[in-house]
Amino acid sequence: MIEVVNLTKTFKKASAVDQVNLYVEPGEIVGLLGPNGAGKSTTIAMLSTLIAPTGGEVLFNRKSVVKQPSALRKVLGVVPQEIALYTELTARENLQFFGSIQKMPKQLLKKRIEIVLEQIGLENEPKKLVKHYSGGMKRRLNIGVALLHEPEYLIMDEPTVGIDPQSRNHILETVKKLNEQLNMAIIYTSHYMEEVEFLCNRIYIMDQGRVIASGTKEEIKAILSSENKVLLKLEKLSNQFLNELMKQPEISNIEGKESIVSFSVAKETNFLPMLLAICEKHKVLLKSFQVEEPTLEDVFLHLTGRTLRN
Amino acid sequence: MFLALIQKQMKILLRSPSEILILLLMPIVLILILSFALGSLMDGNSELDMIEMAVVEHGDEKVDFSSFIKENQNQFQLDAKSLGKMEESLPAGLLMKILTSKEMKEILQVTKIDDAELEKAKNSGEYSVILEIPEGFTLDYLNALIFHKKEPTLNVHFNENEQVTSSVIKDLLDLFQQQYTIHTLLGQNNLLTEDMDLASGEITSTIHSVDSTEKITASVYYTFSMTVMFILYVAGTIASQSFIEKSMNIFDRIVLARIHPIIYLLSILVSTIIIALLQVAILFAFANLVFKISFVQWELYLMLTVMLAIVVGGIAALLTAINYRFNSANASNLFSTTLVAIFAFFGGSYFNISSLSPVFSKVGMMTPNGAALDAYFSISQNGTIQEIVPNMTILFTMAVLLMLLAFVLFPKRGGTV
Repeated sequence: MIEVVNLTKTFKKASAVDQVNLYVEPGEIVGLLGPNGAGKSTTIAMLSTLIAPTGGEVLFNRKSVVKQPSALRKVLGVVPQEIALYTELTARENLQFFGSIQKMPKQLLKKRIEIVLEQIGLENEPKKLVKHYSGGMKRRLNIGVALLHEPEYLIMDEPTVGIDPQSRNHILETVKKLNEQLNMAIIYTSHYMEEVEFLCNRIYIMDQGRVIASGTKEEIKAILSSENKVLLKLEKLSNQFLNELMKQPEISNIEGKESIVSFSVAKETNFLPMLLAICEKHKVLLKSFQVEEPTLEDVFLHLTGRTLRN
Repeated sequence: MFLALIQKQMKILLRSPSEILILLLMPIVLILILSFALGSLMDGNSELDMIEMAVVEHGDEKVDFSSFIKENQNQFQLDAKSLGKMEESLPAGLLMKILTSKEMKEILQVTKIDDAELEKAKNSGEYSVILEIPEGFTLDYLNALIFHKKEPTLNVHFNENEQVTSSVIKDLLDLFQQQYTIHTLLGQNNLLTEDMDLASGEITSTIHSVDSTEKITASVYYTFSMTVMFILYVAGTIASQSFIEKSMNIFDRIVLARIHPIIYLLSILVSTIIIALLQVAILFAFANLVFKISFVQWELYLMLTVMLAIVVGGIAALLTAINYRFNSANASNLFSTTLVAIFAFFGGSYFNISSLSPVFSKVGMMTPNGAALDAYFSISQNGTIQEIVPNMTILFTMAVLLMLLAFVLFPKRGGTV
């Protein structure tokens, strides 16, 4: 198990990560969710022993790896947010190089290169220079390099940034397979809520260097379990209508944009008569309405007052 | 594992056309251009323009000689033959014979002018040099020769705008003065005899090469000077490439593969040495093929080149360490864009810096390229190992210091800071 305890990192008095606690057990997928600048990448860098924390501990099987990182590095694969590849080399040459420096035996490396190329869907273009690859292909190879030595733990830092939907789906499916077929533990950071919801068993939500919520998907959503999200589609939005809604004590998180209005309401509240009365009063034509379970995005909004992509 | 790091560095460099252009093509082109452009001048084959010289004789040499004989007829008895020989060897006449000789006519145009024309000739700049033979010059010469009296003086006016021709004339007058000095010393020591042939008007001296020293031709000069200059770019190039590995987080991957940062730095050092050696081998092979430059003492060339390559490796390691420490490629960029040019200037890659000032020459020897260039010249002139020991010592000291500094400065944890 990898565990971080009270992990802190400050850069010139500015705190990037503040007293973060988290753990990852073998075989699980853990999501690290937060907007840009939340401290996810710094946490990942400390977790993967690339930078030393200012305070706190990184433990692997209950032993500190801050000063002796070798044991953790041996079982760790890291997919950085940047494309960390030699663009003047081919995919096969990149894999060959990174496998060689992992001191993998020649025969094993040869075999692993073929397997990895197939896993990432580049088996047909291994001799093309990386600089001639598309963004999605580079991202896939970026993952492939981290898989070569069959790590027990895989850290993926925003692995789907800036790629086409097809490559994105391929990556998400690959991650799922790696976890299910090889029992690989995965730490997945993203600011795409739907990716984390799709992949992860447990989630840590970070904001401004701190973990503000953690637990399974269900546990996190339970933060908003007492509320439903309501979506209204109107013929035309009026300010008087919105002001009237805001005055209602049982309604919160009201947002209105063009002809769509959303708000949260306590589950047991029968809000329909009240809503219809307000529509009637302000002559607003209600075209449709929808009651939804809360998403992680709603939880983040609830906890921070901001959306993830702000 | 270490081999993989070296192979990777070589592959990346070989697939970078712009780097190959700087490291190989540019020195080859410059060696070609400079050797051909400056070859005739440096190798002494340049065609010199005709030197215009004016001669003003204020007195009359024969009158001087007659007066001298008349004044001193009681002191020595000379027969007509001896008198005739002396008259033929009088200094002004002798000098004029030299200046107007067949050989001199190819480069020198001598015009005799009157006293009245002297000032005009000085101001016009028409002549490269004006030689003034003062009144009583020959009398003074004979008195100095026989009676140790006041030495005669010639007045020479040079046109400072024509340095090359001025220096030719200076050399010519020096030659004349040497002959004159020998005669004077012989005369003062009573060694001049009646039977002795005094100097004739013909220049009979020949140019001898000193010891067994080979001449440094333009192609030799620029082969070595461009090589020691462009070898420095290997350091800047490799250091810049290694910083890309950091900025693209590739170095993080290397560290995660349990490669110690010092091993990585060592791979930078070794890669640079290998690439530098290959570069020099290619440039020397080119020089051998095109200019027929031979590398007879190949063991000395090899020893010196290996030492220079180690210094360049040390520079690459130090630049890499600074880049990594300050998370910026400024150090390697500054080195490639500015420092190499400064080193090249003081090291004598553009021209022989010692001709400007001996101080510059000493500064040049403190640069890796300058120390190596001087040693290459020594070897090419059949120098021995003892002659290049000081240069090798300088290079060895530099290599040790650079490597020590690099290993101290390189971040031990590596990775993102």
